Amino acid sequence: MTRTLTVARVVWLDVIRRKDFYVLLILMALLLVALVSMNLFGLGGVTAYVADIGLMMSWVFTWILAISIGSRLLPQEESRGTIFSLLAKPVTRLELILGKWLGAWSIVSVATVLFYGLVFAVTALHGGRFPGWIVLQAIVLHAMVVAIVCAAALMFSTRLNSDAAATLTGALTATSFLLVPRIPEFVAQAGGLRGGLLLFLYNLLPHFEIFDLRMRVLHDYGAVSAATFMMVIGYGLLVTIGFLGLGWIGYRGKQFTRGSLSGY
Amino acid sequence: MFTGMGAAIEMRGVTVRFPSRGGEVTALDGLDLTVEPGQVFGFLGPNGAGKTTAMHVLLGFTEATAGTARLFGRDVRESIARQRIGYLPEHPDTYRFLTGHELLDTTARLFKLDGRTRRMRIEGSLEAVGIGDAAARRVATYSRGMMQRICLAQALINDPDLVILDEPTGGLDPIGRMDIRRIIGELRDRGKTVFFSSHELSEVELVCDTLAILCRGRIVAEGPADTLVAPGERLEKVFMKVIADAEASS
Repeated sequence: MTRTLTVARVVWLDVIRRKDFYVLLILMALLLVALVSMNLFGLGGVTAYVADIGLMMSWVFTWILAISIGSRLLPQEESRGTIFSLLAKPVTRLELILGKWLGAWSIVSVATVLFYGLVFAVTALHGGRFPGWIVLQAIVLHAMVVAIVCAAALMFSTRLNSDAAATLTGALTATSFLLVPRIPEFVAQAGGLRGGLLLFLYNLLPHFEIFDLRMRVLHDYGAVSAATFMMVIGYGLLVTIGFLGLGWIGYRGKQFTRGSLSGY
Repeated sequence: MFTGMGAAIEMRGVTVRFPSRGGEVTALDGLDLTVEPGQVFGFLGPNGAGKTTAMHVLLGFTEATAGTARLFGRDVRESIARQRIGYLPEHPDTYRFLTGHELLDTTARLFKLDGRTRRMRIEGSLEAVGIGDAAARRVATYSRGMMQRICLAQALINDPDLVILDEPTGGLDPIGRMDIRRIIGELRDRGKTVFFSSHELSEVELVCDTLAILCRGRIVAEGPADTLVAPGERLEKVFMKVIADAEASS
């Protein structure tokens, strides 16, 4: 555990000392505040509209952060050549992957809380209020999605360069969020082999829609029952562990030679 | 000293083949090597002989296609085998966003050293490599020589029983080279094992008690330095002759 936490601490120091991270974070925060403050279609005064667009942008921005951070952590160890010094220590490759994931997930989760804070602050200026428990549940489930996205980005980056890993994770995230919930409709229309294939994809891909409590927050439908909440958390943990496990399988036998590293 | 059994380094029939466009490249060809505890072992060979590959096998970066490799009796594939090892890569680089002190602290944590030992070792390592004054600065501001020194301090932080140095004097000025020689001498005096590769044969002559010369992935000469190099002879001449003979017979 000490080694995993040490690797995670290095991820934190790396990210918070990078100017590009601050620039991205500030730009996102400004964009978020601007979007929720604009009076588009004369709806600027409608609290639900302000919160809706703000929460949607929070999801998108945290995906961008999770993908950009998660997909570059392992490849940059190789491109910098620091992987040699790191693996010469008694660090297992599993500890390395877990440490990287923990670092990326915790950073993006903090950013998630920050984005929610901004949305609620601007919404409050419009006279909106949010019930506490459902907001807390929404943030926790959002952080769970961040955990899955970070794990997927790390998994892809064990065998691909950071650009390819980011692209694939982006495609997986968008598909899981936008297309997967609609697959049952397509299955009904397709039928046969195509329908079977779609059903297979439906069961294979992560279901981000079950983590999305935006509508409950906006319309004050009340908190999700504890049992359901825990089941969703359990599902999220399983998917995260699944991606990290696949990442470990891809990374544990990876050979590091001078020729395989860029910069040599 | 390390409590594990056996030689500091033991490689038996280690073969490493890499796939390449024209088929396979054999980097190591049935390498047999034993380094006993307390030796300062010079690992020599022309470019492409397989020195770095052998070191990478020992550190678990590259898996041998065939054969076994052990460090103090432990299979190199076990992470615990690296607990008492220090390593300086050929092109040392590290986390440039950390300060020198933070870097050593992070390294010490990876070895699970407690707070008191960590502080002591950081002080000791910084002093040994002579960059204590720059410890509070980010590594990004270091010169190449300082980078080499902080990476060496990293390799010494766990008070290793075996130090593996891949071209440790590359890119260093004469003072830096002298410092490396001094550090190797201190390690030898403390009964540590040093295994290093270098193209600087004059450096090797000065510090090594045992030598092995590698050519095309095989050991072509090995033995105590004073036996391999007769009195009055130069290592450079011996090296050239051994390599020429090996090339001619292959």
